[in-house]
This record gives sequence, structure tokens and C-alpha cells, in this order.
Amino acid sequence: MLKLDRRSFLATTAGLSFLSVLPQTAFADAHGDTLRVAIAGETGDLDLLQNVSTLSTYSAVFDALIHYGPGGALEPGLATAWTIAEDGLSISFDLREGVSFSDGTPFDAAAAEWNLKRWMGVADFSWIGIADAYDSIVIDAPNKITVKLKRPVPAALLELTIVRPVRFLSPKAAAGQPIGTGPWIVESYSSTETILVRNDAYWGEKPIFARMELKVVPDELARANALRAGELDVIGGDWVAQLSPRRAKALEGEGMTIVAEPGTATTILGYSPMAPMMQDKAVRDAIYLGIDRAAVATVLFEGYADPTVDIFPTTVPTAGTRTPLPARDVAAAQAALTAGGWTGDGAGWTKDGASLEIAFLVSEEAFPGSRRIGEMIQGMLTEVGLKVNIESVDLATMHDRRPKFDYDLTFFATYGAPYDPHGSLGASFVTASDTGPDGKIYVHPDLDVLVATALETGGDAREAAMQAVYDWLRDNTAACPLVVTQRLWAVHPRVAGFTLPATDYDLPFKGITLG
Amino acid sequence: MQRMFMRRVGLALLLMLAATALTFWLVTAAPGNVAALIAERAAGAGADGAMIARIADELGLNDPLPVRYARWLGDALTGDFGISLRTGKPMAEEFAERIPMTLALLSGGGVLVLVLSLAMGIAGAVSNGGVADRVLHGLALVGASTPNFFVAAMLVIVFSVWLGWVPTFGVSGLSSWLLPWTTIALFPASVLARVVRVNLQDSMSRPFATTGFAKGLTRRAVLMREALPNIAIPYMTTFGAQFTLMIIGAIVVERVFGLNGVGAFFIEAIRFRDFIGMQAVLTLFVVFFVSVNLLFDLLAMLADPRLRRPRKA
Repeated sequence: MLKLDRRSFLATTAGLSFLSVLPQTAFADAHGDTLRVAIAGETGDLDLLQNVSTLSTYSAVFDALIHYGPGGALEPGLATAWTIAEDGLSISFDLREGVSFSDGTPFDAAAAEWNLKRWMGVADFSWIGIADAYDSIVIDAPNKITVKLKRPVPAALLELTIVRPVRFLSPKAAAGQPIGTGPWIVESYSSTETILVRNDAYWGEKPIFARMELKVVPDELARANALRAGELDVIGGDWVAQLSPRRAKALEGEGMTIVAEPGTATTILGYSPMAPMMQDKAVRDAIYLGIDRAAVATVLFEGYADPTVDIFPTTVPTAGTRTPLPARDVAAAQAALTAGGWTGDGAGWTKDGASLEIAFLVSEEAFPGSRRIGEMIQGMLTEVGLKVNIESVDLATMHDRRPKFDYDLTFFATYGAPYDPHGSLGASFVTASDTGPDGKIYVHPDLDVLVATALETGGDAREAAMQAVYDWLRDNTAACPLVVTQRLWAVHPRVAGFTLPATDYDLPFKGITLG
Repeated sequence: MQRMFMRRVGLALLLMLAATALTFWLVTAAPGNVAALIAERAAGAGADGAMIARIADELGLNDPLPVRYARWLGDALTGDFGISLRTGKPMAEEFAERIPMTLALLSGGGVLVLVLSLAMGIAGAVSNGGVADRVLHGLALVGASTPNFFVAAMLVIVFSVWLGWVPTFGVSGLSSWLLPWTTIALFPASVLARVVRVNLQDSMSRPFATTGFAKGLTRRAVLMREALPNIAIPYMTTFGAQFTLMIIGAIVVERVFGLNGVGAFFIEAIRFRDFIGMQAVLTLFVVFFVSVNLLFDLLAMLADPRLRRPRKA
């Protein structure tokens, strides 16, 4: 007969209890028809009028009148066709018929009007050109509306593709209920995950799989480990759950598929237009010539970035002609300084008794990895003879100092698709714009005129007007573009057909099949 | 006893008040503008100077600091800690959702600390200079000097990625708690194991232990029956201090394991300059620190009559 004393009984019970929890760890299997995507922060309630929820989830749930396609092509969304009046003062939309919100409410002209009036003509959204120029809305037919404007807005159609607030919510949705016409329906959301289920009544191409789980994993290493363990299917995306180039390289060597595609936002080194040292074009030229952009892209971005000297990449519309990438030229940089009246010796450069020292403001919080890029640039400029002092600050200090131009050099990035080129030009290169904590890349009275002209010019003349801005910026060395970071994702082997959407603000799901 | 209890509670309340005033001052003195952040939340890129000024005026941000603190304190006493700038939800709602997660982490970790520290400490004392004692001493040293983010990463690599026994993040059953509990418990358990070991050694040289030996008791019997109860007070006091410090560990552990607790919220609040969220969480931390320490002080007083005697002039 089996004898069991108290001690053995307790030990056995404890052991069995421990073992009993292990079978629950079959978590990496049995997820069949569900795509599990990492998100860095909770999605929130997807309120279209608040700047709180995660941007990338909106487009899965809500449609726009017009969708942003590859390279900025305008594709029909809830509007099947649109017509801009010759004077640019009205835009008519033919609305898609037979579309309903996921609560059953039909999408028609009345629903469109209700949605548009939530933000058009509202002061808080005056940063959107079409909202600022809004005059009225006319319902022409049950499925046709016309938006009347006080002045032409050449970028109006592009503005209608952005994420927030322009997308369409069911007029019958209660507060906090994200009900749209998009391919996915929010089943639930919490601070740990958001569950999306396929909208089988979606008017467009329906997702192949039935369910998408957006898992909140704030830590990048934890996301990578979860992908390795098969608990997540895809990680990445600047606006979803950022994947660093170094981590991507590591995952690539471990059997994960790395998807890297040309980006739409440019990382730019900004010269303060108020700093006396930076008003000297010779100094700007020396910095421009003294940086090896290809090395920055290769070494710091592991090749997942494309070196550039243009403000916008070709992945955004009307990005202008391409400027050949100059090779780093220390002698030319020094010659530029000498031509500008600077005298150099082994100790540095001086002019009129002032020595050339540059305050380089960086913030890891504002730009992850900027400290390392800053140090590399510091090293390159030291070889030119420039003294560069890196000031590493937190986000709040960056937000405080950047609008005051309280720096010599600092990092900026353009907004990327679908906000560019009009978004970054209108905000970051115009004296009168109020960009709050974001600051501005460069401002100058001559540039103000050129940008205003470009943004007000429509039709065939728009491209030339935009090019005039780019030419001015290049001729005056007004900014120092560095690289266009690539859009980076890591995909588990069970996922096939992974393709990226047109912008970083969308979730990838189209064409994906699950093994 | 009752007077002493009331005095301790009164002191704890005063301490909480002073600490909340200090944190309020520190948070408001930090760089950044609450009004700008709220405007940015409402209007995104459209937040301009006029809107920021209007919000600052509405929130009374231009009032003197003592007035603002008094207003905040009044609201906080009624449970209104404001609305998080990051999530847009009332902090009371955030707490209701997140405190249970943090409590589960701390409770499980606390139990593990208790078990590990006593087991390691007693085993070391029983071995008394033997191989087990030296190994446990080494383990305690490693545990007390390894940062928890590193411990977490190693545990995840081995037990989740390589072996696939437990999930890497989130809560999906009891198994998902094993790594977070181990991570958060390792440091305090190591410290407490040394406390147990050293105090047991000290107790074993005291007269009551000698008497035990004289009565013919074995070393193990003297250790467990005579020495162990005598280390209760130093153990309890150190445990209290280590348990409160575990909330700091929770800040890292929750983030690494994707647990939506108060610690993870705090990190995000700092990153996004969510001043309202930061102040609310810091207040919660203060209340936790002071309350747990008070509780363990009172327990020590209950356990040891010497601590209850009034001090003589």
C-alpha cells in the first residue's frame, strides 16, 4: 500500500500544481484565422475628434471619401467620383451607393453632411486647409453632395485622405463607439488589446482572415521575443510598434521575414534661422558637405534607410526633381568656410574674433537613435574642424526649445504620406504658421512667399510652384536632409502575402494569408 | 497602545500630505506645458498659441502654486485625480482597471519572496559554511546585483522563446505570471535571504540557543524552534521595506511583460508628459509606501512588546 506522509503529500501537490499550469502555455498555437499584430500603445476608443487614439487603427475601421494609394494616387473610397469646379470653390462628390455602417445605418448624403460638419469650419481643425476654407455643404441628391469653399484649396483632395478627423462615423454611434464602414469592426478594446472582426458587409475587398488581434506590447524587445516565440505574427511600423534597424537585422538572421520598403518621411538636420552662426551660408554649406549620408544610412540604419538631399522622397506626390547625392567632401567644406571669411587652424575656425561652435540639440525621446546619429555627425564635422557640442535633452525640453529656435542644429522629420508635401511645407517652412511644440525646419521671408504661392497653386502649375520652393531651399542650403528611413516590419513565417499599405498610418492586412 | 497607534497613523497622514506636496511641486516644475499637451490632444497639429493660452486660463494654470495644489488636493480627496492627457480617461477609471494587475504582480511576487528568502536563508544556516551555504550565498549575491530588466530578458529567452513553456507577455492564465513574479521577486528575495541567514547565525550564538544545545536538541531543532522565531522582527521590517520597493520593480516588469498595471502606465505617462497621470500615480505610490510601512511597523509592535513600551525621557 502506498504510504504518503504529510511532507510528501504537500510536495507532490505543489509539484502537480506547478505542472498543471504548463499545458495552458499552448498559447503559440491554435490561433488559426487570426492575425496578431503588436501595437506599442492601446488604441483607445478611436474618437475621430480627439488626438488620443492610435492613428494606425482608424483606417481599419473607418473609411474616407477618398483613399490614399501608392505614390499619392487618389483612389475612390466612400466617394466613387469627384469634381472640382473650375474656380476651385466647390467640390462635388458622388457617394458610393449601398454602403452601410456596421450598425446598419445607411451611408448617404445626410450621413456624409453630419460627419463633415463635425470638423469643417470648426476652429480646432483650421490646420486643415479645407476646414479653414469651408463655407457650406449642399445635398444635391441622396447620394451626392457638394462642399462649397470660401477660397480654392489645391490640396483639398489629399487632405480628405488623412486619418483624423476626416473619416466617417455612424451618425447613430453613441459616444465612445467606433462604428464605421471599413473592413473591420471593433469587437472590443482595452488597455491590453483591441479585437477586430471582419466586416462581412464591407463594400470593398474583404480581408482573407476573420479576426485581427492588436496586442499592446510597449517594449520593443518584448515584441521581438513574442514574434520569435510565435505569439505575434507581425511587428513593426513607425506608427504601430516601431522596429529598430538593429532588431530587424537580428530577427532576419533568426528566420523571420523582414519587409523593408521606401519610406515617405525624410529625416532632416535643421539649421536654426535665428542662430547668428547658422545665418552664415558658408557654415551651412560646410555642414551640408561634411556629412556622409550614405555612411549614416549604412552604419546607423543597417541599410534600412536611403540617403538623400531632397526634402521629400518620390513616394509622396509633387516631390520635385532629384538632386544627385553629393559625396562627402571635407576639403570642399573647408573651402566653403574659407570663402565665407572664416579662418581655420588646427584648433578650429574663427571669424571676426568669434570661434565657430555649434550647439547640436538631440533628444532620444523625440527621435529614437538621434544621439547615435548626432555623435556620428559630430565626428564627421570635427574632421572639417567644426566644434560641435551635443546637448541631449528630454522631449519636454525639446518641445520648449525647438519653437524658440534655441539651438544651432537639431533633427526634424517631415510628416510623410498622406500629409505631404503640403503638410510639412505649410507648417515647417512658413513664418506665420503656429506649429506649437514641433518648431519649424527653416523660415525666411522669401521662402514664405514661395511656399504660399505653391500651396495656393493648383492644376498643372502646381508642380513648377513646388519645384521653386525646393530649388530655393537647395540654393540657400536652408536645410540638410539626411536619410529617408525605410518602412520596416518583421513577419513570422506563418504569414504569407504580407504587403504594406500606402502609408505608415494604416495597418497591413490586405493580401495576407495565414498558415 | 491606542495612543501610539493613533500617533503613528497621524504621522503617516502628515507624511503623505508632505510627499504629495513635494511631488506636485516636482511635477509642475518639470519642463513642458500641460496646456500645450491638452491642446495638442484636442487639435493635433492645429494647436496654436491662442488655444494653449485659453486652456491654461480655463485650468487655472496661471494661479499660484499653493492655490493649484489646494485645488488638486481637494479634488483628489474626493477621488477625482483628473483626466489622463495620454489616454483621455479619468484617472479613477485608469486606477480601477490597472491597480488589480499591479496588486496581483506584487502579491504573487511577495509570496515568492517569502518562500524563496526563507528557504534560501534557512538552508544556508542549516548547511552553515557547507557547499549549499556557499552556493546560496553566491546565488543571493547574483540576485541582488542583477538588474531586473536583464533578469526578465534572460527568463523570457530561456523559458518562452527556447522552451516555449510560458508566454512572453500579457496575462493568459497562471503560467503567464511565473516569469513576472520570479523577476520581481529575485532582488528582494536575495536581500532577505541574507537577512535570514545572518540573523539566524547571530541567534545561534545567543544564550537561549546554547541552552537548547545543553538540553540535547539538535542544531536543526534549535535553529527552527529557538532561533527562527527570534528573527521575526528584523525579517518583518526588512520585508516591509523590500515589498514597498517592489513597486519600483513593477514599473520595469510590467512594461517588459506587457502587463497593463500602474507601473506600465507611469512609464507611458512620463514619456508622453502626462502630468496629470504622473501626479496621480506618484500619489498612489506615496500612499502605498506609507501604508505598507505603517502596516509593518504596527505588526512589529504587535509582535514585540518592547516596541510598545512608551519611551522614557
